[in-house]
Amino acid sequence: MLHPTDLKELRDAVLDSSGTLGIAGAGTAADWAGPLGPVDAVLDTTGLAGIVVHNPGDMTVAVRAGTPLRQLQEELAPHHQRVSLDAARVAEGATVGGLVATGDAGPCGLAFGSMRDLVIGVTLVLADGTVARSGGHVIKNVAGYDLAKLLHGSYGTLAVIAEVVLRLHPVPEREATLAVSCSLTEAAELARAVLAGPHEAVALEWLGTTPDAGTLLVRLNGTAAAMDARLDRLRPVLPGAVDGDDRWAEHAAIVRGGPGDAVLRIGVRPSKLPGVLTALPARAITAGLGTGIATVVLDAQDVAAAHETVAAAGGTSVLRRRPAGASVSAWGPPPSALKVLRAVKQSLDPAGRLGPGRFDPWM
Amino acid sequence: MPLDGAARRAFEAVLDPQDVLSDPVRCRVYECDGLTGHRVVPELVLLPRTAEQVAAAVRVCAEHEVPFVARGAGTGLSGGALPVADGVVIGLNRLNRILEVDPVDRRAVVEPGVTNLDVTRAVAQYGLYYAPDPSSQQVCTIGGNVAENSGGAHCLKYGFTTNHVLAVEVVLPDGSTVTLGSDTGEQQGPDLRGLFLGSEGTLGIVTKVTVRLLRTPETVRTLLADFPSVAAAGEVVSDVVAAGIVPAAVEMMDALAIEAAEEAVHAGYTIGTPAALVVELDGPAEECGSTFEQVRRICEAHGCTRLHIAGSAEERAAIWRGRKAAFAAVGRISPDYFVQDGVVPRTRLAETLDRIAAMSRSAGLRVANVFHAGDGNLHPLVLYDGAAGETARAEELTSAIAELCVEMGGSLSGEHGIGTDKACSMPKMFSRDDLAVMARVRDAWDPQGICNPGKVLPTPRLCGEPGKYRPHPLEEAGVIERL
Repeated sequence: MLHPTDLKELRDAVLDSSGTLGIAGAGTAADWAGPLGPVDAVLDTTGLAGIVVHNPGDMTVAVRAGTPLRQLQEELAPHHQRVSLDAARVAEGATVGGLVATGDAGPCGLAFGSMRDLVIGVTLVLADGTVARSGGHVIKNVAGYDLAKLLHGSYGTLAVIAEVVLRLHPVPEREATLAVSCSLTEAAELARAVLAGPHEAVALEWLGTTPDAGTLLVRLNGTAAAMDARLDRLRPVLPGAVDGDDRWAEHAAIVRGGPGDAVLRIGVRPSKLPGVLTALPARAITAGLGTGIATVVLDAQDVAAAHETVAAAGGTSVLRRRPAGASVSAWGPPPSALKVLRAVKQSLDPAGRLGPGRFDPWM
Repeated sequence: MPLDGAARRAFEAVLDPQDVLSDPVRCRVYECDGLTGHRVVPELVLLPRTAEQVAAAVRVCAEHEVPFVARGAGTGLSGGALPVADGVVIGLNRLNRILEVDPVDRRAVVEPGVTNLDVTRAVAQYGLYYAPDPSSQQVCTIGGNVAENSGGAHCLKYGFTTNHVLAVEVVLPDGSTVTLGSDTGEQQGPDLRGLFLGSEGTLGIVTKVTVRLLRTPETVRTLLADFPSVAAAGEVVSDVVAAGIVPAAVEMMDALAIEAAEEAVHAGYTIGTPAALVVELDGPAEECGSTFEQVRRICEAHGCTRLHIAGSAEERAAIWRGRKAAFAAVGRISPDYFVQDGVVPRTRLAETLDRIAAMSRSAGLRVANVFHAGDGNLHPLVLYDGAAGETARAEELTSAIAELCVEMGGSLSGEHGIGTDKACSMPKMFSRDDLAVMARVRDAWDPQGICNPGKVLPTPRLCGEPGKYRPHPLEEAGVIERL
């Protein structure tokens, strides 16, 4: 186990070791994607922690990659600022670098996107010890290639993320959620009505254990002064809606899954989501009806067929929890751009040192 | 090496021969983009009509090692579409169909030659719009927007092209076709779509774009406020942001830019005022109204000398007409001008503008300032008279301003791109290793080096051998470290 505490130690750890390397942050996504193959060493990034510089007036923060996002949010809170990302595993200590490397996002991705939309700069270390930066400390910047995007979703296979610069948003004065009991199909109709109106929901998620019965959650962000009036206008669109502020923990619990569960994150056109989800033998579902991104809890033996079902609908899928010891396919049919992915991997990590197995069987 | 006959015949075999231009007079139309100081007449111009023809043409380029440059409307301001000598230009204007509009899933699928504004026009009937709005949106194309990751006045709140494109179909430099991104924007593995967006035509040619559409905001409120100084206007921007308000747009103009714009379009700006701010808020009616009132109070607290609130859609359009006319309008007060596009942290705007004013005085050239104050993206317009021999001095001042932005902790370019124009300035912002890694990524996509060569990354031929290393300003400030 290598445990660097600054950029120099990180580079030296990469240079001084030989053979294959796994990269580990808080370990909250260790069982996501393909299983890490046997490696000669594991590089623990949690020693690379803390804010490098926070510029409240510019609403940007540079932070070391091993910093738990939860801790960063606590440090930003006195400035009424936040990173607009509410992925379920943040509560478990997920690091900023890990959230980028896994391309994670939560319900408010509807309004704010995923980490790719929030990262404005990155410092990385390649397998040969090269230290490089792209982007910068300003939110608007098109100079050079955006290497942070390349690392988003790379699961530690292209480079070690040492530091990221994030754009921040103001913490809304008030967040409020309305909850409606309904089936997935009914929820899709309600979601359509919400999106067609002027409500500007920041999250729009249905959750349930079967498509026939569940709950639609609609979250608004805004000023304290206007929120009650906005909720009054939203309620008639959601007949029977009640206060749902405390329902998001249930959502997060489904996304995380439990022992023995296989969890799949899928994405299809929003209007196709109810059909695809109904066709899957899911034990629990969260469905982002505005984004088209859903999470399903499955038995391990159903995962391979689920990948195929989603691919047939033109969607994407990735394993987000592997039951201990189970052999489960992490990825579905390969994307058309696989050869680009392989070429980039070959160019940045020709010896194949980083993260072997994570994209098995693609590369 | 000039194009050989075999390559010419191969292009004519995969395209309709009338879509292959070789007459130097006709090719001259394509010799430059919006950066008109750089011109190269291409050997051939190819005007494919379908994505399959684009792929076939690129395959010919790969087989014969012919460098190619993709081009949309040619409105780019950084020379990204500057032709390469002995190469071909692939013009995409004929791929201009809107393939699909899906109002339920709020997306459209378009070909690269569709103009930015035509996307919004095609979907407006559903109460939807396409958010990125570069000033050239009436003529610039989506393909060019993808290449440049274009922004616009409203990107402070709504983001850039990269935040609004879910998927792109791309012809790679070997002529094969792949899709990057997906119906939801999710990517299985690294975000290749995100890397491609803003790569300035150096990684491939986009042939199909799936864009996300937004619902037209219920309420839009716009004000135009005059201030006794640029610093006072800058303080307003800081206070608005500190109040937790995210305006849809915050634009600033200085006296010279106001004078030019007002004389050109008579939009109701105050000639003689040292600074004017355009602030626009949008959103649900309940919220927009009270927040707008808060912005008005902040303006007044900073000595606003005149405050005009648009009372109608026409008045709002007039305010924007003045702002968007500013670039072209400086042509009325100066025979020639260069546009700069640097970015500084918003908190260093006032300091940067002071420095630019001093540099302007010592160069003996006027600089008009129009900029996106909310995100610190400056557009200084360096005014000069080429006929009076001022060109070299103006170019020097322009580069010095871009590099000043880097020194302030910002960027060489916020939205216009690096292209040909600023490639040689890249070492001011990035270390040799940073650039080497970018070059490795580029080589992975384009091992033959035929896809828009010579753009974005500095080359010895273009920029000379790199000089002695100088510490990056952020390194000196202790924000970043070099090992």
